[in-house]
Amino acid sequence: MIRSHRSSALLVAAAALATSAALAQSATTIAFLLPETATSSRYATQDLPDFLAAMKKLDPSAKIITQNAQGSATTQQQQAEAAITNGAKVLVIDPVDSKAAAAIVDQANRNGIKVISYDRLILDAKVDYYVSFNNVRVGQLQGQFIADHTPKGGTIVMINGSPTDNNAVLFRRGALDVLGPLFKNGTFKLGYTIMTPGWLPSNGLTEMEQALTKLNNHVSSVLSANDGLAGAIIQALKAQGLAGKVPVTGQDATNAGLRRILQGTQSMTVYKAIPLEAKAAAQLAYDLATGQTIPKGFVNGTTNNGLIRVPSVLLTPLVVTKANMASTVIADHFTTWAKVCAGLPAGMCPGK
Amino acid sequence: MDEPKVVSRERSPELSSMAARLRSGDLGLLPVFVGLVIIWAIFQVADPVFLTPRNLSNLILQIAVIGMLGIGETLVLLLGEIDLSVAALSGVAGAMLVILSISLHFDAWVTILGVLLVTTLLGWVQGLWISLIGVPAFIVTLAGWLAFQGLTLALIGQQGTVIILSNTLLAIATIYLPRAVGWLLGALLVALLVWLDLRTRRLRARYGLSLPSSRQSLARIVAIAVITALVVATLNAYKGIPLVGLLLMIAVGAFAFITGSTPFGRKIYALGGNQEAARRAGLNVAWIRVWVFTISGFMAGIGGIIYASRLGAASPAAGSGNLLLDSIATAVIGGTSLFGGRGSVFNALAGALVIGSVENGMDLLSVPSSTRYLVQGGILLLAVTVDTLSRQRRRSAGRA
Repeated sequence: MIRSHRSSALLVAAAALATSAALAQSATTIAFLLPETATSSRYATQDLPDFLAAMKKLDPSAKIITQNAQGSATTQQQQAEAAITNGAKVLVIDPVDSKAAAAIVDQANRNGIKVISYDRLILDAKVDYYVSFNNVRVGQLQGQFIADHTPKGGTIVMINGSPTDNNAVLFRRGALDVLGPLFKNGTFKLGYTIMTPGWLPSNGLTEMEQALTKLNNHVSSVLSANDGLAGAIIQALKAQGLAGKVPVTGQDATNAGLRRILQGTQSMTVYKAIPLEAKAAAQLAYDLATGQTIPKGFVNGTTNNGLIRVPSVLLTPLVVTKANMASTVIADHFTTWAKVCAGLPAGMCPGK
Repeated sequence: MDEPKVVSRERSPELSSMAARLRSGDLGLLPVFVGLVIIWAIFQVADPVFLTPRNLSNLILQIAVIGMLGIGETLVLLLGEIDLSVAALSGVAGAMLVILSISLHFDAWVTILGVLLVTTLLGWVQGLWISLIGVPAFIVTLAGWLAFQGLTLALIGQQGTVIILSNTLLAIATIYLPRAVGWLLGALLVALLVWLDLRTRRLRARYGLSLPSSRQSLARIVAIAVITALVVATLNAYKGIPLVGLLLMIAVGAFAFITGSTPFGRKIYALGGNQEAARRAGLNVAWIRVWVFTISGFMAGIGGIIYASRLGAASPAAGSGNLLLDSIATAVIGGTSLFGGRGSVFNALAGALVIGSVENGMDLLSVPSSTRYLVQGGILLLAVTVDTLSRQRRRSAGRA
């Protein structure tokens, strides 16, 4: 996840929601520990049902302990301890805090319990596996899109994510994998590049206003790290009458971003199919709990977490444009036409 | 005056009074203007685009939110209190705007009124808590900061970023005044100043007080007229005066008048200068506090509406990040004392210009965040150091 969760961490931790789904008394017990619901609804509305559905297919009798830490790293630690006490053989953790969760991993290791780091990487700990999207690939997709949609000799603006977010650094690296050589050989000009503190759209707006002022509106395309920033960038472009004329990238397939794609002001968004991610985590957890060998090729990389190179299942994100919206985010029930199109004229919305 | 006279800052009419004031440590807006000139000079050298009409127009748009929040914060600081909830409250304003305008389909004007009502009410509740129960403002507004973030999440947390559809709401931060209207407003401002000056003279003459020298008054009015003409000409050279710029000026003017020329304003200074003295003089201390925090809530609402209008969207992230610190810094860098009783609403505008200029210039140069934070920290420290040193001077000059 790439949004800032600081604000929710500050909330006085509400009583943690416990939805223990004891399907049957069975040897296979797996814990699925989620970070929060406040700033991102995906954990409750996507990850959890997708994971449960996948587990049900693998073993209808497996016992799944599911918890949500509501943004508190302490609560998450307590939930992990409870899961271990309740006989969990595998912990699938989406950490509230990438570093604090290392303590959970240490405790699990001492008890011989396997740990899968889900979506966000747990740092500085002996994690068994990591399941996530390939963040460098996200940046590459954005970079490639910009390379394909910028006229030769064009000037590119890069509005990147937060300098304090490791994912943002990876997105930027991926984008530069593609664009770096093209800047060097003069195919494109890098007019302006900046990292946006806190991923805040309000910061992105000022940055884009200043980029346009500096370049006197000579901007051919804008690489925006996510949809939130893209919204702000498009506001700045609109003020100069450039919205819809300059390609703008995005990420997260948010409703606001998808709507702008239908309106023609945003060009694409990078979609990370949560059902695939949840399914991969379920498969891996099941195999570990039952002692089965992991199928060859399932683990397709390693990720350095500061202590070890964690064997990783890295899923490929998808580029969503107007053309494939129906077959991706809508078909996956990631969102609905009603949510994307709210307030749009009927002619603009293919789903109506 | 039927008010107990608690602020007695009789100014001598001689021109040398200004020099005397400066010597005794009453620096007023001087340090911040010197700072602003230095900042502008540095950025202009670094990038000649900085002082173009277009970029100065950007600057106005960019300081609107912190300016509005900074005005509310200035009033609170004048009391010797602090309001840590302003930024989070502006986030609530954004969330309410979404609820009223998008979910409940209210008209733009009803939405604006509703948003302001809610934030003003929340400010009022904080004021009551501070005044009647006696919990320190720091704690009440810290709790408010947390609770208001929670409220924002509860209101629109599930929806993420919501796009604003109302053209009226979007227009607030995106339209510019016609050029002729800009000139007209500039002329009106100067006429207003002349009228105010004449009014002061008349009143002072009636009470038998010494009159300020007419040369000094004339010089002041001419200086302001020249600056006004420069500002209008510059902004007209781009697209005209941004509407939010006008709103900010109206807010500064209105609160400058309220704090400077009404009994209520004098009471704020009196209370901030010496609470016990103010209480013994018979001021209704609780009532003044409640009002000031209510105003701060109102200004947070205005700031939140402009914030949402500028982004064309509201999100749970609105009001987070540096906004709170920027709002407090706006007041403090402008020269409003953290110790209460000294400062003015004009200082908030000056402070917003300093902070806005630094951010604007560093974004223009795409300076990395590391440098950005270092520079902002340095400026804040420098500003408060100047305030503290001048305070010591004032004390030794018997003006503290």
